[in-house]
Amino acid sequence: MENVGIFTAAARLVERDLKVIFRHVSEALNPLVFFVVVATLFPLATSPDAALLRDMAPGVVWVAALLSSTLALDSLFKADMDDGTMEQLALSPQPLAWLLLAKIVTHWVVSGLPLVLIAPLVARGFFLPTEAILPMMLALALGTPTLSLIGAVGAALTAGVRRGGALLSLLVLPLSLPTMIFGARATDLAGLGEDPSGPLYLLAALLFLTLSLAPLAAAAAIRISLD
Amino acid sequence: MWKAFVRWFHRMASPPHFYAAASRWTPWFFWSAIIVIAICAYGGLVLAPADYQQGDGFRIIYAHVPSAWMSLFVYVNMAIAAAIGLIWRIKLAHAVAASCAPIGASFTFLALATGSIWGKPMWGTWWVWDARLTSELILLFLYIGYMALRSAMEEPSRADRASAVLAIVGVVNVPIIHYSVVWWNTLHQGPTVSKIGEPSITWAMLWPMLGMMVGFMLFFGAILLTRVRGEVLARERNSKWIKEVAVS
Amino acid sequence: MKPRRQRLVLVVMIVVGVGIATGFALRALQENLLYFYSPTQVAEGEPPEGRKFRVGGLVTPGSVNRTEGALDVSFDLTDNNTTVTVAYAGILPDLFREGQGIIAHGRMNGDGVFVAEEVLAKHDENYMPPEVAEALDQVHGKDSGP
Repeated sequence: MENVGIFTAAARLVERDLKVIFRHVSEALNPLVFFVVVATLFPLATSPDAALLRDMAPGVVWVAALLSSTLALDSLFKADMDDGTMEQLALSPQPLAWLLLAKIVTHWVVSGLPLVLIAPLVARGFFLPTEAILPMMLALALGTPTLSLIGAVGAALTAGVRRGGALLSLLVLPLSLPTMIFGARATDLAGLGEDPSGPLYLLAALLFLTLSLAPLAAAAAIRISLD
Repeated sequence: MWKAFVRWFHRMASPPHFYAAASRWTPWFFWSAIIVIAICAYGGLVLAPADYQQGDGFRIIYAHVPSAWMSLFVYVNMAIAAAIGLIWRIKLAHAVAASCAPIGASFTFLALATGSIWGKPMWGTWWVWDARLTSELILLFLYIGYMALRSAMEEPSRADRASAVLAIVGVVNVPIIHYSVVWWNTLHQGPTVSKIGEPSITWAMLWPMLGMMVGFMLFFGAILLTRVRGEVLARERNSKWIKEVAVS
Repeated sequence: MKPRRQRLVLVVMIVVGVGIATGFALRALQENLLYFYSPTQVAEGEPPEGRKFRVGGLVTPGSVNRTEGALDVSFDLTDNNTTVTVAYAGILPDLFREGQGIIAHGRMNGDGVFVAEEVLAKHDENYMPPEVAEALDQVHGKDSGP
C-alpha cells in the first residue's frame, strides 16, 4: 500500500463511504423518515392543541433527533467489521482514530445533516415561532455531530457483539443526555424569544470535546473488537 | 519508598498473592467499618442536635451524603482500575473494576432513594428534574450500561478491555455531576462540607457525617475485597494454586 | 508524511480541540443559565407571557394568608427589591415558612398574581441546632431575613 498523507487518506475513505451509501439510498434515508415519523406521533398521542404543541416542540425535535441518530449508528461500523474492511483500516499506516473520524463525519453528513435541514418543517408543524427556527437549526447542527461522535464510541464497543442493538442504545443514550438537554434548552429559550447563547456555547464546547476525544476511544474500542 | 511501592504493587498484581492478602484484610476492613458506622450512627442519630429548620428530618444526611459521595468515588475507582488494566495489562485490575460496578450501582441507588425520602417532606416533592438529581440518575444508567456490556461479551479478556474503555469514557460525566450544583442554580443545596471558609454546619453534626464517610469507605473496602476474591476464583478456576487454596 | 509526524499532527489537533472546548465552556458560564426568575425579573416582564415558568424568592414575613377550611394560600415572594404575590392551592412543604427561600412553578394571571401549581422549598446548606440559629439571628439583628 502506498503511504499517502492523512488528508488524502481521509478524502479517499470519505469518497468510498459515500459511494457505498449511495448504492443504497433508501437505507440511508431511513433515519430521516424515522425522525419525521416519531415527531408525528406526538400530536397524535397527546392532542393537536397548538399551545401544548408549541411547549413540547423543542423536546420533541431533540428526542426524535436523539432516537434517529441512535438508530443510524447500527450501520456505522457493522458492514466494515463483517467484510474485513475495518481490519484493513486498522493495519493502514494512518492513525485509526483519524480514519474513523472521517467515517463518522461521512455518516453525519448522510444521517445527521438531513435532520438539521428537515427540522424547520417539523418545528413549524409544532407551531414553533419563526424566530426560533434558526437557533434551533444551529443547535441541531452543533448537537447532532456530537451525538454521532458519542454514538460511534458505543458502536465501536458493540461492534463485536451479536445483536448489540439494545445494548448500543443503553450505552449511548445516557452519555448523550447532556447534549440533548442543552440542545432542547437552546431551542426552548429561542422559542420564548430569549437569548439562547448560553446553551449554544455549551453545545459547541461538547462538540469540540467529543471531536477531539471520541475518535480515540472509538479506535481503542475497534482494536479490542477486532482481536 | 517509590521503589518499595512499585514492588508491592507488582506483587499484589499476582492473583495468588492478592487472594491470600485479601483474605487476611477483609475481616479488618469489615469490623472496623461496623464499629465506625455504629459510633457515627449513635453520634448522628442521638448526640447531634436537631436542625433549626428541618428538625430531626435532616438526620437522613448521615446515610444520603456518604452514599452520594461513594457513588462518585466508586466510579472514579472503577475507571482508574480499568485504566490501569488497559494500559499495563494487569488482569487483577480488570477484576477490581468489574467488582466495583455492582457496589457503585448500589450506592447510587441508595443515594437516590434516601434523597427522595428526604425530598418529599423538605422540598415537597419526591423527585425534581434538576441537574444534580438527573446526573445521579445518569450515573446509575452508566453503571447499568457498564454491567450490561460486560455480560454481553463472552470472552472475559475482551469484556475487560471493552468495558474499561466505556468506564474511562463515562468518567467525563463525573465532574459534570460534581460541578452541576455550582453551574446551575438548582433546588439542591450547595455543598456543605467542601465550602471554603467557615463550615456551615456545627461540629456536633459534622463529625458523625465525616465519620460515616470513613465508615462507608471501609465498608466498600470490605465488600470490594470479597467480590474481587470471588472474581479471582472464577477467573483462575483452572490454575493450580486454586486447588491448594480450596483444599486447605 | 511519516507516521510519527502524522501522530504529532493528530496530538496537536486534539490539544487544540480540547482547548477550543474549554474556551466555549468558559464563555457559556458567563451566560445566564438560571433555573428560576427573581421577582424583580418578573416585575420587569422578563418571563415569557402566558407560559409557565419558575419564580424564586424569600417569603415575606406576615404576608401568608390562609383561607379558613380550605387549602388555598397566598403569600408574597421577595428578593429584597420587588415582591410578587403567589396564590397556591395545595399542601405546602414542611420547610415552607416566612423568610424561607421558595420556588413556585406556574403562570401569571391577568391581575399580576402568580398562580402556582407547585411550591418547592429551597433549603440552604446550613445545618445547625435551633439555639445556634437564634444566637446568629441576635448577632445579625433581625435583618438577616428579608
